[in-house]
Amino acid sequence: MNKLKLWLEQTMMISFAIFVGIIIEGLVYSFMGDNLADFNLTWLQLVSVILTGAVCSLPTLFWLTDDLPKNKFIVRIILHCICLYAVVTLFGFVFKWFEHMEGFIFMTIIYFMVYIYVCLMTLWFHKRDENQINKALDDIRDEE
Amino acid sequence: MQVIVERVNSKEEEQAVIKAVEVTDEISGAIELLEGDSKSFTVSKDGKVYIIKASAVYYIESVDKKTFVYTKQGCYDCKYRLYELEVMLGGYFMRCSKSMIINLKKIKNVKSQISGRVDATMLNDEIVVISRGYVKDVKRRLGIG
Repeated sequence: MNKLKLWLEQTMMISFAIFVGIIIEGLVYSFMGDNLADFNLTWLQLVSVILTGAVCSLPTLFWLTDDLPKNKFIVRIILHCICLYAVVTLFGFVFKWFEHMEGFIFMTIIYFMVYIYVCLMTLWFHKRDENQINKALDDIRDEE
Repeated sequence: MQVIVERVNSKEEEQAVIKAVEVTDEISGAIELLEGDSKSFTVSKDGKVYIIKASAVYYIESVDKKTFVYTKQGCYDCKYRLYELEVMLGGYFMRCSKSMIINLKKIKNVKSQISGRVDATMLNDEIVVISRGYVKDVKRRLGIG
């Protein structure tokens, strides 16, 4: 049940980040002179974003276990990042997110932005848990 | 529910009286928490049997189907299985990994790691790992989940 919740949380977080990336992409193209009204998403593209979020969340559940030493965990995160990049590129190709090299480069930039955003958010959640637990422990701690 | 706290002069005088129409889950939880410190169980060390209070326990570990109880005075063998102790002790004792039960009242502080696990520094400066999967349970038990 915990894994299912974690998977759904990660799916929502990644999908949201991709949508933010798409908004940024639209704004950048608009800034470069394109008409923002011409920039639209098809139903299939919307579904493909959520599907990508769901697929990209799966390795996190089984690969990033918490019983690894810090250095091994960092190596695994790098491999995880590369593996997900391959998945996103494949989905991008299948769902036609990009047609030219320029679009591919943009997708790559968005991917790394999303990955860093998800990592930072996860770290922030952990830090918030740490602070909340420490505060609650202050109230119940035995004196020795 | 109205809560009345009266100050007393000694530990022996301490008591809690709960007046309720029925014993709800919340009241059962409160009883479990209040009784937690007064519970005791038998352990052994070097062939001698001791009775220790739950409040003296820092954490309990299961290794190769044997159960070890850690206190400030040292480590003891215990005949009970981990799941039995978990039910027996209740209160602020809870699973922090598949093979460990931790006494939340004996944690000095916690530090989250990059992997999501949480390292708990006990009052005796030992570090006990709270696995990522159990962090939410710990938060819930502390009333912040």
